[in-house]
Amino acid sequence: MSQIPDSKHMTATLGTRILGSVAVAAVLLMTLLGLVVSPEDLVQGHAVRMLYLHVPSIWIAYAAFVLTAASSVLFLIRSRSRADGGRHHDRLAGSAAEVGVLFAGITLVTGMLWGRVTWGTYWQWDARLTTTVLLFVTYLGYLALRRLPADPIVRGRRSAVMALISFVNVPIVHFSVDWWRTLHQKASLSVGRRPEITGEMYWTLLYSTLTVTVVASWLIVHRYRVIRLEELRDEEALNALIASRLREDDVGN
Amino acid sequence: MLHEVLLVARKDLRVEWRSKVTIGQVAPLALLVLVVFAFAFDANARLLGLGAGGLFWVAVLFGGTLLIQRAFDLETDDGNFDAFRMSTIGAPSLFLGKSLGVFIQVVLLELVLGPGVALLYDVRIDDWFLLLAAALAGTVAFSVCGVLWGVMAAGVRVRATLLPLLLIPVLAPVLLAGSRAFETAFGVRAEAGWTWASVMFVIAAVHTAIGVGTFGFLLEEG
Amino acid sequence: MSDIAAVATGWGLTFVVVATYALWVVGRGKTIGRELGIGKRQELGPGSDSSTPASS
Repeated sequence: MSQIPDSKHMTATLGTRILGSVAVAAVLLMTLLGLVVSPEDLVQGHAVRMLYLHVPSIWIAYAAFVLTAASSVLFLIRSRSRADGGRHHDRLAGSAAEVGVLFAGITLVTGMLWGRVTWGTYWQWDARLTTTVLLFVTYLGYLALRRLPADPIVRGRRSAVMALISFVNVPIVHFSVDWWRTLHQKASLSVGRRPEITGEMYWTLLYSTLTVTVVASWLIVHRYRVIRLEELRDEEALNALIASRLREDDVGN
Repeated sequence: MLHEVLLVARKDLRVEWRSKVTIGQVAPLALLVLVVFAFAFDANARLLGLGAGGLFWVAVLFGGTLLIQRAFDLETDDGNFDAFRMSTIGAPSLFLGKSLGVFIQVVLLELVLGPGVALLYDVRIDDWFLLLAAALAGTVAFSVCGVLWGVMAAGVRVRATLLPLLLIPVLAPVLLAGSRAFETAFGVRAEAGWTWASVMFVIAAVHTAIGVGTFGFLLEEG
Repeated sequence: MSDIAAVATGWGLTFVVVATYALWVVGRGKTIGRELGIGKRQELGPGSDSSTPASS
């Protein structure tokens, strides 16, 4: 219970307040760098500024889904052996997936706007767009499954298996759609290859990736704590119900 | 193990045989979908011929989802999962048995849909072997995924809407691969139909492995 | 759509969405925390008598 602090700042601790402040400051600097300082692209013009949100968002979405899958595996392994049923991992999986869906949505919107300017159309049936939209819907389904009323451990197991399958499915979806059609700018930030975006643009992209990571971490930590509070509330409600039933029985006898 | 698998599948098929829902209701409904597609494409014979492979799989997906729903409603209505948990039948056998039962029902559905597509959309079949291999792979992949998601959505009040939402994104590669493979088999696309058929075999194998490994987690209570 | 309009829309939407989500998370935490009466009862251990919730 030590994680839940005093009444004034329900889900905040000193650590997350520092993280939050860093995030806000970093976002301000990111806005300045991305919209003002960094130059226009020779080919893409101002549209290149969309990539400073688009690329970090998809990175966060994938990272969050990896976290969801890893936590789900740990949950399945430990749900039988640990006293609390490994629910820490379940909460982490849930909060990461929600933040992942948020950033997958941002990826889609920024990508479509970028496409409207650069390709002249909001949507192309290319491999990465199609994979991303399927990923987005898959994890929306995962969140729907998590919201169902059920015993927490049963629900946790179902969600964990779903997270596992969804994750295994990502490369399958990607490669099948990739074979179907390929028509996309090559990956902008990749290890070992000379990036196509260079100079100030490259550093801005790197910096905004870092910033978005900090923001997403703050969101995941807070969402985790709120899920914990939700669970506490549900337990209290259940206990209160049992207690009132017991009292009724006493009166009845 | 094989004995148990067959036992579970036989039970499902016997229930189906008595009610005849697949043949009596789901198959006619899927045929209706084929007619509706013709409305959507303004009965343009060329377009329907080009899209026949994909339309077949969309109709299978639609009808098959209903079959899976039913396969699990049967279990939860009578509290059969409790009986399974008590019995000595292992989770992997139960998973494979349910999948086999669904597989056979979907094959029945396809046996009605296939001639329907061929007749209504005027399709010539160039490569029978590819057609059958792709149908087999796609149907196995559909059945194992369907059973996995079916048990996940089983017993919850919103299952009718939840199951398609969970199932379709996972089956998207199967739909894609099945459509392309069928188009090659119908001779409207020159691309490597066998590559797509093998993609479906891989998907079927991966999901069978996941199902055998995780079905136990999905059955356990609390 | 001009490229500047597209960039403004994209950045604007992103900021609004992320800020809304962050506020929702914090607000939900506060609401539930209040319902649970955290603060009034500093110790909310698993062994505490939860049959008499502070909110009822």
